[in-house]
Amino acid sequence: MSSLLKASNVESYIGLYTILHDVNLEINKGEAVALLGRNGAGKTTFLKTLMNLVSTRKGSIELEGRSIVGVPTHKIAKMGIGYVPEDYGVFDALTIEENLRVAMWKEDKETLERVDSVLDLFPDLKVAYKRMASTLSGGQRQMLSISRALVNENRIILIDEPSKGLAPVVIEKLAHALKAISKDATVLLVEQNFAMACAVADKYYIISEGRTVNNGDIKDLMQNKELQHKHLGVM
Amino acid sequence: MMITKDFSKKRLIILALLLAGLSVIPHVSGLSTITLFSRIFIMAIYAMSYDILRGYMGFINLGHAMFFGTGAYAVGVMFRNFGSTLPVFLIAIVFSVVFSSIAAFIMGKIVFRSGGKGPVVVVAGAMTTLALGEIVRHTAERWRSVTMGADGLSYRIPEIFSNRILFYYYALIFMIVMTLVLRQFVLSPTGRVLMSIRENEQRAEFLGYDTQKYKLIGLQVAGIASGLSGVMFGVLNRFANTELLSVQQTLNALLMTLVGGTGTLYGAIIGSGFVNIVQSQLLNFRSVHPVFERWLLFFGAMYVIVVIFMPRGFVGLYYTLTDKQKAKVQKSAVGKS
Repeated sequence: MSSLLKASNVESYIGLYTILHDVNLEINKGEAVALLGRNGAGKTTFLKTLMNLVSTRKGSIELEGRSIVGVPTHKIAKMGIGYVPEDYGVFDALTIEENLRVAMWKEDKETLERVDSVLDLFPDLKVAYKRMASTLSGGQRQMLSISRALVNENRIILIDEPSKGLAPVVIEKLAHALKAISKDATVLLVEQNFAMACAVADKYYIISEGRTVNNGDIKDLMQNKELQHKHLGVM
Repeated sequence: MMITKDFSKKRLIILALLLAGLSVIPHVSGLSTITLFSRIFIMAIYAMSYDILRGYMGFINLGHAMFFGTGAYAVGVMFRNFGSTLPVFLIAIVFSVVFSSIAAFIMGKIVFRSGGKGPVVVVAGAMTTLALGEIVRHTAERWRSVTMGADGLSYRIPEIFSNRILFYYYALIFMIVMTLVLRQFVLSPTGRVLMSIRENEQRAEFLGYDTQKYKLIGLQVAGIASGLSGVMFGVLNRFANTELLSVQQTLNALLMTLVGGTGTLYGAIIGSGFVNIVQSQLLNFRSVHPVFERWLLFFGAMYVIVVIFMPRGFVGLYYTLTDKQKAKVQKSAVGKS
């Protein structure tokens, strides 16, 4: 299988501080990969590095063989990387409809059909279609943020901690939707909620103190209590 | 976003009545009222052009008058040198569009160059536009052979515009056409991207938009609209001076936008009406008491009052009141059920 996204020996920094020291990751087309690790391990920074929101000092990042290091963020997005940030990233002063429409690069038949299927996935958004994003709950905002990344034909979707701060019932709904999404799309999911990661992903990478320290099949990790305890703090 | 594509029947009826009322005004009013209304229509477009920047892009341009003033000078200089004819007027329009487009492009390239975000960058950008605007104003002041410097430039206008009643209708048509064009612009995909930039530029970037390019487009559209309103103002005024290029002129646009309601487009029309009528009344009161000579003092106070008590302007206030009313009706309906 050809690799869709490949990061090798990535080192990135914010201001004077080096956050990522040596991150290696490879995702193949159609895979759903979970990036796991404790708080402050560098998971979010890695996603931001992929989007060039954080600068890369060393190493290489390739999307289907093309380097994306130093490429402006908007061009990376246009190359087919959809990004769902940790803080949802929705536009509060716009309605759900406007948030989705602003994310569309074209308003052709295919895109509109994609929007319809996204709304089928998240019926809560359909009900509140004309409502301002500022009036939505945390779960609805997360759904909107994920939906926005799905309206275009992206090659890979980066999702940063979708379960953060949400009620268990909402997390369950989201996990169900993300599982459905991962059937058709390539997903890189950053997640602290181990159960959610297991429900969505096929593979995993563990990141610790800015370094990838382990990777493999998520089913193996589910069996390996010692590894879970050591790197994820799962009791 | 307060502007929508939908036009309800009620809205259409109100608009039709308003238009009918405005069409009657020249036949029942004196010359000064007709001129005042023509001014309101033209300044509404100038304010609307500023609203594109402030309300839809979140960009504070303190040099915005350069487009407006240059538009007024374009007709003045051309009428003086090439004759007061309709073809010369059309050439002045073309000149204004080309100049505004190029000047906005240069301004944008300088101001948006840093590409940074946050309040510091907004203030730095505003200061840069102020400096650019002042450069243009000083150049106009020094270039006496063309602009007549601080004394200003008076000129004759084509016969077709000399009838004040007819010009009232031209100004009204100008306002309607430009409002429709700008409305279409803010409702277009480009307009939506500009709003997303206003909300959060970085988010717009990771959705795949080259925000610098879109901001340049927004600035050019606003510059052209401002320039065209300047052309019309030049014809109405039959006089152009460097005041039209000054920061005071930019602040007028800001005040009209604030009073009417930023990010609403139509608010600019209400703001223009309110500010121009108040200004005209204050000037009339000069004969009553000398304090009204200092009408700018009242304007300053108005800025403060609007910012404190009506931060979303008249249109914003209207939406707040109607939202409250709707909520009240819904609450009582729930109570009854």
